[in-house]
Formats: sequence, C-alpha cells, structure tokens
Amino acid sequence: MASTSKDSLPSHLTHQENIDDDLVPGACPESILNPTDSFEEIETEMSTDPEQRHAKLTTKSSTISEIQSEIGEPSKDMKTAKSSDDLKEGMASSPSSSNITEQNGDDVDTDKDEYLQSPELVNKEKHVFILSSAGKPIYSRYGNEDKLAGLCGVIQALVSVVEDHDQDILRSICTKDCKAVFLVKGPLILVAVSKSNESETQLVMQLTYAFNQIVSVLTLTQLNRIFEQRRNYDLRRLLAGAERLIDNLLIFMEKDPAFLLGAVRCLPLPEKARENITNAIISTCNKIRDLVFAILIAGNQLITLVRMKKYTLHPSDIHLLFNLVRSSESFKTAESWTPVCLPKFDATGFLHGHVSYISEDCQACLLLLTVQRDAFYPLSQAKHTIAEKLEKMKCIGAINDALNRSKDLPTTNPLKHIGIPIIRHFMYKCKSTAQLFTSDPISLDRLQDYRIMHKEGGDITVKKIEKLSDIDYVKNYRKFCNQIHCATVPAKFIFRSNCENTILAWITNGFELYVTFDALVEKEQTKKAVDHLLQWIKREENRIFIMNAPTF
Amino acid sequence: MASRKKVLLKVIILGDSGVGKTSLMNQFVNKKFSNQYKATIGADFLTKEVIVDDRIVTMQIWDTAGQERFQSLGMAFFRGADCCVLVFDVTAPNTFKSLESWRDEFLIQASPRDPDNFPFVILGNKVDLENRGVSAKRAQQWCQSKNDLPYFETSAKEAVNVELAFQTIARNALAQETEAELYNEFPDQIKLNANDNARNRDGDNCAC
Repeated sequence: MASTSKDSLPSHLTHQENIDDDLVPGACPESILNPTDSFEEIETEMSTDPEQRHAKLTTKSSTISEIQSEIGEPSKDMKTAKSSDDLKEGMASSPSSSNITEQNGDDVDTDKDEYLQSPELVNKEKHVFILSSAGKPIYSRYGNEDKLAGLCGVIQALVSVVEDHDQDILRSICTKDCKAVFLVKGPLILVAVSKSNESETQLVMQLTYAFNQIVSVLTLTQLNRIFEQRRNYDLRRLLAGAERLIDNLLIFMEKDPAFLLGAVRCLPLPEKARENITNAIISTCNKIRDLVFAILIAGNQLITLVRMKKYTLHPSDIHLLFNLVRSSESFKTAESWTPVCLPKFDATGFLHGHVSYISEDCQACLLLLTVQRDAFYPLSQAKHTIAEKLEKMKCIGAINDALNRSKDLPTTNPLKHIGIPIIRHFMYKCKSTAQLFTSDPISLDRLQDYRIMHKEGGDITVKKIEKLSDIDYVKNYRKFCNQIHCATVPAKFIFRSNCENTILAWITNGFELYVTFDALVEKEQTKKAVDHLLQWIKREENRIFIMNAPTF
Repeated sequence: MASRKKVLLKVIILGDSGVGKTSLMNQFVNKKFSNQYKATIGADFLTKEVIVDDRIVTMQIWDTAGQERFQSLGMAFFRGADCCVLVFDVTAPNTFKSLESWRDEFLIQASPRDPDNFPFVILGNKVDLENRGVSAKRAQQWCQSKNDLPYFETSAKEAVNVELAFQTIARNALAQETEAELYNEFPDQIKLNANDNARNRDGDNCAC
C-alpha cells in the first residue's frame, strides 16, 4: 500500500490544509536567518544556461564595504571580484561520452591502476575530489590526492573535452550503481562519486558547500585572482590545514538534516533564558558600532544571533561557522581572532571574528564578527562582560541543561513527551525562519564518535541495524526530500507505507514535515498523529525556535 | 613551512606520432620499454615522484596522442601546465620540423603568463638507431634560437638521458613555481592593510 500524491491532496488531509494558515509552528514575522531556499539556488547551479551560471560567480557589490561605508568609514577599497570564469560553457544539457581511452600498452596498465584499487579507495560510499581547472589535485576525501594526480588528469580531460568539442557542460555520469556528479565553479572542478541514494541535486548541493568552504578560507576574490595570475597554481599551498574543514563538512552534510533542508537547528531553551542571553549580548555590544553579528552556538545548534540592522545570515553561512567551530579544537583553549569569509553574506571579503567558549564549564561558543580588522581587544572585553552577565543570570546552567539533555526538559525526548507511540521519528522545518527541529537531535558525543568512525571508515557495509538513529532516518528521508524539492514536478504530500515503516512527507507554504511511523499504520491514524504533533510543536515553539530577530 | 612539502607539476608531452612520447614516459615512470608500437588514443596520465633539491615533487605527466585523428581531447587540457616537453625522432627530419608548430600550438592553447620564458624542454629521441636524419648541431641551433631551450638526446629503449631529461624538466618547472611564490603571497591583503593604516592615521580615530 504505497501512494504518492503530487498535486491533489488526499481527502483526509484537507482538514490540515485548512488549519495550515494559522498553524505554522515557529513562524514569526521577522527572521534572523535569510530563508531563501538553497534548492532554488542549486537549480540555477545545475542550470545549463551559461549566462545564469556566469552571473552566479560574478559577485555582486560587497556587503562588507557597504557596512564599512555605513558606519561612517571611508569605504575600503574592496574591489568587486572579477570572475575568472572564462570557461566556455555551452547550452545543451546531455553529457556526452568522450573518447578518452587510456593508453593501450598492456604492460603499463597493470602498474598504474594499482593505487585506485587500494583499500583506502575502493568500496567507499562517496568520494569527493576537488581539482583546479588545470587538472591539479587539491583535495580528495580518501587517499592521498598526490597519488590521484592521474585520475585528476582524466577528470579534467573529461570536463574539458565536453566543454571544448560539444560546447557543453558535463554534469553527471551514471553507471549501474554509481553516480559521478561534476560541478565546475570558477577555477575549480568538484566531483562527487557516490553509491548512496543521494540525488544529483543533493550531491551538487554538497559540492557547492565544499566550494563555499574553500571560499570561506580564501574569499572568492583571492581564489579567482590566484588562478587569473597562475592557472597552474597548486592550491593546496594556500589550503594547508583547511582539509579537515572539508573532511568534517562532508561527514556532517551526509548526516545532519539541517543540510538536507537548508535550515538551522536551535538549542531548545526556556524562552526567558534565551531572552536574557540575547539581552546580555545586546546591552554589551550595542555601542560597538562595527560589529555585524554576535552569535552564540553550542553543539551545532544556534542559541542566539544578534545582528546589525538590515543584515541577516543565510543558513549555509551558519553551517560553515558551525563547521569551523566544531573542527577547531584550538578555540577551546584560547580566545581566537580569525578571518572568516561567509560566501552568501559577502564572498569578496573577510569578516574578522573573535571566537571563544563562554566559560570552561560550558560548551557554548561565542562568535563576534566585525568588519574591523583590529578590534580584538574591544571584542575580547565585550566577551568577558557577556560571560559575566550570563553567569550572573544563571544562563550557563540553562544552556548546560539543554546540552546535557536533562530529563526534565520536554524537548529532550519529544516523542515521549508528545506521547504518540506510532511516531518513531520526525523532522520539522519552519520555512519563514529557516529553523529546524527533529525528534532525536544528534548529540555532540555521538557525532564525535561518528566522525572518528568515519575517519578510517566510509566503507559500504551491509550491517543490520537494530535501532535507527537520527542519521539513519535522515538517509531514509533523502528520497522524499528530493521529490518534494523536485524542480519539474514537486510533490506536496507523500505517504508511503511498507513492511518496515510508514513515511509521510508534507510541504506547505509555511513548513516542511517528515515523519516516520510504525509499519502499516492507517492513514486516519497518521492524520490524527500529525495534528497532534503540530499542536505540540506550536505549544513548545518559544522553546525550540528563536521567535524574534534581535538587532544591536 | 608545511606548504613547501608538496609540489605537483603538470607536464605535457607533445610531438608527432611515433617519436616515442609514450615510450619515454614509460621508461621514466616504469623503467620499461616495448618495441611494439601502439598509438596513444586521446591522452594518457602517469605520475611519478622525484626529488629535486631536497623537495619531493610529484610529476603529473600528460602523454598526448601524436596522430591527428586521435587528438580527440582538444587542447583545453593544456592550460595550467608547468612544463612542456617537445619530442622529435632524430631519424625523421619531418618530426623535427614539426616542433615549431607544436610549440606555437601549445603557447596558443595554454596561453601561459610569460610565453617567452615558459619552460620547454626538447628531446631528440631514438639516438640508439643508426640512421640519423637530424644532427645534434642542427637541433641545438634551433633550441638556441628559441631562447636557449634545454636539449637532450635520448633513447627510451636504452634509457639514455631519460632520467636526466626529466630531472631537468622538473627542475625548470619548479624554478618557475618558486618564482611565483615570491609575489603571490596575498598581495591583496597587504595592500588593504596599508590602506587601513593610512586611513587610521588620517584621523578616523574612532577606535573603539
């Protein structure tokens, strides 16, 4: 009994459609996050229209210089990045196969493919390769990219032959059990080779994130300029030390639904506690005139974000900040001052960030992002003041309770609290605020384990899993998420039931909801359960979402 | 400096069909030679690590098809090369005459920043054969006329000068790379810095 409805909703849901307008848990008129859906952008990314693609890379005027001029400083001479994307990009879409045959001397073949067959490379669920448009390796998720120079040559030849001969863009190559997805972005070529059930769009999205991670380290201006000056540049020189950022990003992207849905998770907190934290930051920082964002995060979750009027952050920029913090052990031991480029906010320049953990006994990390490059001391001062205030108002305790998943909190085990036994798992995204809540938030420790496990691993296994975790549910949702966000025929509602489970995916103007029920439940039951679930989220919305958009 | 550890050089081998491009590469990378001729279709990629002045260098060698009908790859993949090796057959004068056009073709397609000083290396292959058609002197003269390009007489079959030639290739390419490092260290950032300081001194003393 499987049914998929694309346009017409099943009758039992009309009721829900009706309450749709007034029941959008978590919605609020103003958002700290820019809710633009990444899916639309990825569609442009995958578009074969060269004009459109080109426009994406030619960056707009710099937001940073805009802020600088606004705060009364003569605008720094931040030149608008010129795109070095002088690659010819054609119109049609079908990837054409090319006659790139390896040399046919038999005594040679045996030697050279050995590395590609080595255990560190074979049987991986997903490879990611990044190379320059000259075909020089920059990054490989597994193995040693130096030894993959030959493979990178083949990739570059494939990309360039389609470009040259057919005036076309190579987007993907599909074999029976494997997808290779190509993304040419400015001077870089990114490739994902996947045996997972991720769609082409989802893989392109991940490659875009990887590209943005590189931009975040270098800025787009710098990246383009380097390759304008020297096409043969070995970018690993500038990225030394940043590989781990890409490593970690790739792991989390596969597991965390926040990436899948382009949303940000918030740390569930009592409304009052969050308000106190926000106020402590505002009252300390409102005199610091060039501060653009003050962000408090913990365990990949947002606690609060205070911003300069007019500016919001895109979820993908926040994800990069999450990634930076969780990948950098050194932030734990000292206050740091680090340049960081947030590609969606302004790909042409660096913001300068004061990064520090709020106290020794609390995993919350405070980022103060400014356009001023020498503001370390005033921001360090501000941080200490904020930390004192939080301590005094007992906010640290509230944060720790939430992080330690104290049993008293309704959000620690939402399914138990909601009390609908047939629901095994759910994830909910409020679209207007780009915030996300799931029934089983991945705890920090488990992700840590996962990371260690994956450092060596990444192998495809056929292990029978007894108890599913958030991670496994997210894998199951991928297919549905892809249908919901399909560019050509988007589905609004999907109900699928089989002997393992029943999955419901539903998108409205206000939210996206994915629920896993027990196997073979009746539609009528799921309807009641979803009603109940939405009511519960509504009731708890002040705790699980950030419902305002504070500014300095 | 950690970043100095790894260097990857992209080396392109060009020349008419049958001059021994693939054989040279195989001799260099695999220490093997086969008398059997098999045309390269499209391109072939091999890598080899060499040590140049205490630096470990990975050479990414792009062997190309000499026969026109197999040049299906187009020329786009020339871009970003660090060195170009032009090969001719010392027993076949016409392959020597082609060098000029291979060089021009490369410079057009790869459009390096500084074409006059782009590192080319010229190899006259098959010196083990009796019937020479191009004298060493003639080859050297041509190389001198092209801004003193390094010239080696090689035999892929007997492994004559192959190692030395590729060492030179790596060294010359590396020299260019190293030069680049001198001016490529965030020129943008430094400029901004200077502007900043100047501006602050100009009286924008808002400092928080």
